[in-house]
Amino acid sequence: MNLRRILRRSREDAELSQELESHLQYEIDGNMARGMSPEEARRQASVKLGNPLVIRERVWGTNRIAWLEDTWRDLTYAARTLRKTPSFTCIAVLVMALGIGANTAIFSFLDALLLRSLPVSDPHSLVVIGWHAKSDQDSVTEGISGRTDPDPHFAVVGGIFPYPAFELFQKDDADFSDVFAHCHTREVSRVNVVINGQAELARGELVSGGYFKGLGVVPAAGRLIIPDDDRPGNATVAVLSHTFAQKYFVNTNPVGQPILVNNLPFTVVGVAPAEFFGVDSSRVPDIYLPVHANVALGSQIPYGFTAKDYLNSNYYWAEVMARLRPGVTLEQAQSRLATQFQSWVATTVHNDAQKADLPILFLRQGATGLDILRRQFSQPLYMLLTLTGLILAIACFNVANLLLARAASRKREIALRISEGASRLRIIRQLMTESLLLASVGGALGLLLAIWGIQFLTALFASQGNLHAELNWHVLAVAAALTLLTGLFFGLVPALQSTKLDLVSALKETRAGDAGSHRPGWRVSVSHALVVGQIAISLLMLVAAGLFVRTLSNLESVRLGFNRENLLLIDVNARQTGHKDPGISDFYGRLRESLAAIPGVRNVSLSESSIISTNNSMPIALPGLEPNPATRFLSVGPDYLTTMQIPLVAGRDFANTDTPTSPPVTIVSEEFARINFPGQNPLGHRLLLLEEPHGKVLRDMEIVGVSRDARYGDLTQKTVPVVFIPYNQGVPRPNQMTFLLRTVSDPAGIIASVRDVVRQADARLPLSNVQTQKAEITDAMQQQITLAELCSALAVLALIIACVGLYGTISYTVARRTGEIGIRIALGARRGPVVWMVLREVCVLAGVGLAISVPIALATSKFVQSFLFGMQHNDPLALGAAMTILVGAAVIAGCVPARRAASIDPVTALRHE
Amino acid sequence: MAPANSEMIQGTLDMLILRTLITGPAHGHTIAHVIERTSDNVLEVEQGSLYPALHRLEHRGWVTSYWGTSENNRKAKFYRLTPAGKKQLSTETERWRQVVGAIGRILGEATE
Repeated sequence: MNLRRILRRSREDAELSQELESHLQYEIDGNMARGMSPEEARRQASVKLGNPLVIRERVWGTNRIAWLEDTWRDLTYAARTLRKTPSFTCIAVLVMALGIGANTAIFSFLDALLLRSLPVSDPHSLVVIGWHAKSDQDSVTEGISGRTDPDPHFAVVGGIFPYPAFELFQKDDADFSDVFAHCHTREVSRVNVVINGQAELARGELVSGGYFKGLGVVPAAGRLIIPDDDRPGNATVAVLSHTFAQKYFVNTNPVGQPILVNNLPFTVVGVAPAEFFGVDSSRVPDIYLPVHANVALGSQIPYGFTAKDYLNSNYYWAEVMARLRPGVTLEQAQSRLATQFQSWVATTVHNDAQKADLPILFLRQGATGLDILRRQFSQPLYMLLTLTGLILAIACFNVANLLLARAASRKREIALRISEGASRLRIIRQLMTESLLLASVGGALGLLLAIWGIQFLTALFASQGNLHAELNWHVLAVAAALTLLTGLFFGLVPALQSTKLDLVSALKETRAGDAGSHRPGWRVSVSHALVVGQIAISLLMLVAAGLFVRTLSNLESVRLGFNRENLLLIDVNARQTGHKDPGISDFYGRLRESLAAIPGVRNVSLSESSIISTNNSMPIALPGLEPNPATRFLSVGPDYLTTMQIPLVAGRDFANTDTPTSPPVTIVSEEFARINFPGQNPLGHRLLLLEEPHGKVLRDMEIVGVSRDARYGDLTQKTVPVVFIPYNQGVPRPNQMTFLLRTVSDPAGIIASVRDVVRQADARLPLSNVQTQKAEITDAMQQQITLAELCSALAVLALIIACVGLYGTISYTVARRTGEIGIRIALGARRGPVVWMVLREVCVLAGVGLAISVPIALATSKFVQSFLFGMQHNDPLALGAAMTILVGAAVIAGCVPARRAASIDPVTALRHE
Repeated sequence: MAPANSEMIQGTLDMLILRTLITGPAHGHTIAHVIERTSDNVLEVEQGSLYPALHRLEHRGWVTSYWGTSENNRKAKFYRLTPAGKKQLSTETERWRQVVGAIGRILGEATE
């Protein structure tokens, strides 16, 4: 019925007009009967009735769904007017779509990273137990296995505890229903799992007996690990992740199957549910083992975990979570537990330095799991969100300006509607409908862009853990809110502005605009303010772009010091298949020789890890001197420098003659020689490799070579002093090794032969990490490169949007002054000063914008310092370039309209009036 | 007596229109005229409110309308009370009496 009313509106409206007309006639008749003249009678009757249009509107307004009909009419009207100016509509929609799309895509990642809860029962009662301290030097944390992180509020934050502390926490029955631990020690970080004779590498996680019960996880098959499994001697059960079980048990039920983990027998007792990914999305385990399995696993590797470590109160390694009892708040539990921990940890100190900086316990919400991934990605994502937010702001300023210019050209239309009785509110509503329609179309298009953007960013972050972003209702709500807010923002000011007008002068105004008006109206200042805002924000974006473009070129020109082409890397861990000292060195040596025999292989060497992914230090000192903690070392095999093509400055490379029984030797880098032997030849000097912390000499080595500096460790770090030592001359003993194969042509061709050779050497050895050196380098820098590219692209986008806005506003201002300029020229003004007059305005706007944003840019750019490489955040080149580009863009945007204005024929211009 | 208040108490206009129509169908001008006359010109119907009110009543089904010819041979839109309208009128009147009585009692007691 209501819909029919909408359709019937015009007929009903006509009927009402007729009714009011007849009412008027009665009134006139009455008035005339009282003796008035016909004219007076009609006038009085009209006054008494009031504006028939308003009555018609009010009658229509009595309908309860009038707002719906009005909205519908506003919408159709808005669609019609927007269709009439397709170029304006396209620009506005596109600009909004880019702004909203970029923001939605970035937000979806922040949502996935920061807000999503663990897929376990009642995640909100989970807490993570951690500690903070002033320093991690000279503290009670004498040994750690796991990570501590620098923190902006406290110097160091850790989430690992000694086992006795975990046992202490488990006694806190009053606060917690469950306390459980999980560990990611090096015994399990990469394990060799043999299933039906087939070897696979897997990520392992040690979990305490209460882990699965505490999290409330229900098994997908079999059972999960229970407290009885987690006891010395019993710890031979394993739970597989759903993905891992599906991959390696295609047609068999994994439950009850025997497997080998690092050559030790385990029994699969169950499979975790598909949605469960552990508690840290940056490391998704393939296989869960009881914590107590690490004694057996630790006995397999040098410096491995031992049973004694369970009693060691200064060895921090277990990550602890707990579930709060109903009714207990995090603060209550924290205050009680912190007190207990404080008195316990005080009993573990060995000296005054430790006593002065005891770790302080704190609890943190555990619903979203651990925060390693968050630490890694939240900063770049927040930065991207800031940049896209700035773009959205520029886009809003821009569309607001376009609307303002457009509203000015519709002044007559609006004045006409107001004079016919439309209320100001009604017209504002009409104009707001238009801007909201624009924003909605932009938002819808933006959502499509966001879907594409999410796919793009997922690919970008793919190599870095389990980060799945999606369009869920959070994200859709944010996109909708952005659309609404932007629509309101860029619509409201122009709407208020354009409905606030002087009817008579607006109606008198000619189509050419109010040329010759010398009153500097408020609208001009609003549009100027918008331009200044755009310039200011654009400068921020351009400074960011400048910084990232320079970072990009620095990244791409990183001097490696070795040849990345035609170099194949393969990881082999013979410890995991039961090779022991000293035979393991011989095994690696024989494997190297077999690999060297593969046709197409020029040289083969090995190192404990690839040179760009290592960061090892042990005390290395000249006799009689203190070791320099900056010194790094790398255990390598014969022909290492030859294979890597790191040039020798002096002496020789390692060779097959450097054996366990020959005199210990070492090769040092140029940087090491420069620091330790300034002005001397280091060859023949002795170097001591010491044991921590007691200073026992492990190797007394002779320097036999000096190499050129090569990139060691993180590609973005400074050059460090490096010492190369043979892998087979004593402690530290070889563990996992990376074999380096320098090939004649593309290494891809020999991978199959490499697999055959390794299988012949030991069939149980998995060979999963096979990659070229070039790919490893690209991978290592890819995230930074792509981030820099992305930021530069965003900044260019911002510049384009800002230039469009600048050009539009300035042409509009000039067009409005056509008449004035015509008069000036008619009165004898020369063209030069006229152009200057227009440009001066542009320059003033640009100057004000820069004056506002340069200090902001200087102050805020330090937040991106950690993403930069090889430069400082206040780089004068980036700032200068940004200012030049922006002023240039503003002048060009002003030049075209200025020249057009100056070439105005005064007669034509004056005819406008 | 001058018009006491040109703003009629909210909702009373509807009641008065319904009351006017109980004597038979009438068009808008007559309705306004009758209300003003019957109230000895104390109540002045703001004509801008009359037609929205009539349409509101019609929309709620309390009056119906038809085009007819008036006493002086003009075409006019006539409004007629429906049974639902009659019922509404008695409810409204009843409620009004209660309210007036209550207010009267309060005011009476307060002055004593």
